[in-house]
Amino acid sequence: MSPTEIHQLNLGPITAHAFNKDRSQVAICPNNNEVHVYQKSGKGWNLIHALVEHDKLVTSIDWAPESNQLVTCSQDRNAYVWTFDSVTNKWKPTLVLLRINRAATFVRWSPNENKFAVASGARCIAICYFDEENDWWTSKHLKKPIRSTVLSLDWHPNNVLLAAGCADFKARVFSAFVKGVDQKPPPTPWGDKLPFNTICGEFSNDSSGWIHSVSFSPSGDALAFSGHDSQICIVYAGGESQNIIRTTSLPYLSLLWITEEKLIAAGHDCVPVLFEKQGQLWKFSKVIDVGKKKVVTEATAFNKFQGWDSKGIREGSKETELNTIHQNTITSIRPYQGSRNDISYISSSGIDGKLVVWDLK
Amino acid sequence: MPFVSNTLRPYLAAVRSTLTAVLCLENFSSQVVERHNKPEVEARSSPEIVLNPLTISRNENEKVLIEPSVNSIRISIKIKQADEIEGILCHKFTRFMMLRAENFIILRRKPINGYDISFLITNFHMEQMYKHKLVDFIIQFMEEVDKEISEMKLSLNARARIVAESYLSQLTQTCELIPGHKRNFSNFNFLNKSKVLSYRNFRISEQG
Amino acid sequence: MILLDYHNVVIEETLKQPIVGLEPAVLDMTVVDFDGVSYRISTPQSKNIIRFSMLMQCFKELIQWGAQEMLQKEYGAYILPQTESGYDFSLEFDLQKLPEDKEERETLVKKVSLIKRNLLAQPFERAFEQQAQYEAEEQTNPTPILMQIHYRDQETIYIQAQYDRVTVIFSTLFKEETDRIFGRVFLQEFVDARRRPAIQKAPQVLYSSKDPPLEIRHLTEPQNENVGYVTFVLFPRHFVEGEVREKTISQIQLFRDYLHYHIKCSKAYMHSRMRARVQAFLKVLNRAKPESPTVEKKTITGKTLVRA
Repeated sequence: MSPTEIHQLNLGPITAHAFNKDRSQVAICPNNNEVHVYQKSGKGWNLIHALVEHDKLVTSIDWAPESNQLVTCSQDRNAYVWTFDSVTNKWKPTLVLLRINRAATFVRWSPNENKFAVASGARCIAICYFDEENDWWTSKHLKKPIRSTVLSLDWHPNNVLLAAGCADFKARVFSAFVKGVDQKPPPTPWGDKLPFNTICGEFSNDSSGWIHSVSFSPSGDALAFSGHDSQICIVYAGGESQNIIRTTSLPYLSLLWITEEKLIAAGHDCVPVLFEKQGQLWKFSKVIDVGKKKVVTEATAFNKFQGWDSKGIREGSKETELNTIHQNTITSIRPYQGSRNDISYISSSGIDGKLVVWDLK
Repeated sequence: MPFVSNTLRPYLAAVRSTLTAVLCLENFSSQVVERHNKPEVEARSSPEIVLNPLTISRNENEKVLIEPSVNSIRISIKIKQADEIEGILCHKFTRFMMLRAENFIILRRKPINGYDISFLITNFHMEQMYKHKLVDFIIQFMEEVDKEISEMKLSLNARARIVAESYLSQLTQTCELIPGHKRNFSNFNFLNKSKVLSYRNFRISEQG
Repeated sequence: MILLDYHNVVIEETLKQPIVGLEPAVLDMTVVDFDGVSYRISTPQSKNIIRFSMLMQCFKELIQWGAQEMLQKEYGAYILPQTESGYDFSLEFDLQKLPEDKEERETLVKKVSLIKRNLLAQPFERAFEQQAQYEAEEQTNPTPILMQIHYRDQETIYIQAQYDRVTVIFSTLFKEETDRIFGRVFLQEFVDARRRPAIQKAPQVLYSSKDPPLEIRHLTEPQNENVGYVTFVLFPRHFVEGEVREKTISQIQLFRDYLHYHIKCSKAYMHSRMRARVQAFLKVLNRAKPESPTVEKKTITGKTLVRA
């Protein structure tokens, strides 16, 4: 496998991306109301399906690896579960009864794939599960004490606990235990008795910023969250204090644990960054993006004059582009290859429309 | 970079780093109105997603107000106006630009009260443009608008001087300069003498 | 072109062909001049008879200051007794009765094109004569008349002769804020210009906005922020009889037009500058936009356009 794969899948932003289990297909949203499914072919990707059911911007996509179902949510207040019909070779949407009246912002399947959580601007999180009796996806709301738009979610590996990062400057751990769907979970450091909507933890960063991303460690015992104040906080369940990593960079929008001691963050700086636990302290380790060599192409006379006419500069785009692979904010990083506690490849997508697969070794 | 005075440099540097920090925007749908997606810095529908505004001042006549929010920021610039002429030139120039706001996609059609020109940058603009180049644009604008206004003022003054001089030089040709007016010439001398005399008389009579 | 012509170029050009060249042509045109003056040149009856009429706001005032005599003297042979309706004054030229000498005909055309200047010159002439009279009679403290010429709506020229000088005051109206400020810059330069040695001998120029100068303060006029007053103080050396006097008169009476002409030019220049600067700013903003990848373009024949 090549070190870093770069695919320009859209000219505008990619608002969300999700791979299937064997990474032969990827679903992305090209900054509109559609979801595009690409099939890998050689080094490139071919568009094979366009999923059109939402009528506003699709904000998040998740692909359940085992059951091979897609879930998408959008600013039109709806979520759809898509199942692939191999007979007709089409994705079939099923509307989820979200019962929210504002934009849906984030969606994730639970580890067991029997539930998913939808974050929303209606100051609540909808926990959705399949109601066998009525044959539809229905939902229960986590409401208190959320006071603003929920920006991100992450499931605990036990399929019950759910972390949420919110624009009211708080990161919280909720119980999303649904009676009749879930088995009673074994006790965790976050708590023993876990009825629905139990708040197992509420954290904020010291300078109060919107919480852009939350992420459970592979074991689920630690939670990392990043705020608009460019800090990353790591809290251990039952632990006394928060580990705060202060950085001088711009805010991080997405976090991902690759091992119990390593954390990747990416955001407005356009590069993924690795943080490591050294002893008891978390420290900045390195920037994953090594920068690229500039390819100086000989400008044609046409390009030269076009540049002079429209931009007033003689050179082409030499100094315009950033010295990074992503040319704009990275909005999402996701595991690509490896087990949950030892991820070897990650994928990232962002506003520049690039989908990049990074080799971490 | 062209000539930049010493106090201007830190001022622009402060604006540049502030803009870089606040231009971290995301697509954010309204929490208040269903299916709406509006610049929160203008709509101000919920307080927690609008950040504290900040002002960077070079002096009391030159400052920048930056109002950040989750999906948009507003930058308002007060341009140096040392006198009435610079004031009117600045007003004309900013008005000229604002009439072309659709070309300058980030330009607000009306400035914020107390400022000369305002820009409104939303997450949608950030999706289309390089952030560092957009910041470059604002900085370059601030740098050059001052220069442009003082150059326009200089050219106005220069023109006025030339116009006044050419007009008045047409009136300086007293008869001494024109040959062939002998009679008038002597006449003129006589007049001059009598003027001096009468002037004295006048003063005496006034004192008396 | 910094200075303005004293005569009306359009009139000169139009009349040259029939009067100097003696080539009759059918004419009917309206010509305008500064200060709302308009002329009509027509051939109502036959190509050989050209009628020239003039409309001037302050015509009646000028008659009062001796314009009639001037008209009789300069244009007497051509005056049409029955003035064309809607105009203040008419001349008629019969192409068959013009002077034989070509040069004389040229002078005539020039004279007609200078008619506005000559009319407006009358109060000046009168003031200069009066001053000479005061001086000759040693009237050190005369009570001169203040001649008012309302040459435009809300704008007036005041001329007053004194013992040793003639004062000319222009009141001028700036319609816009920009005009007012630009006007102030220009007028300040008129005031300051005399410091230069080369033009020290020019008449003294005084400028005041809002408050009218002492000479005309007694006239109850509506006080207006946008009105400026410019005073020229002319000493006898500025109006020595002959060429100097003529030139001074021509120059002074065009002052208002000259000033406003240059204010307008400055505004046009600023406008073109701003246009260029805004264009440059747009280019800077364009640098922020990523280059769009090349879209396949087709030529009109359906072939794909390939750019190397």
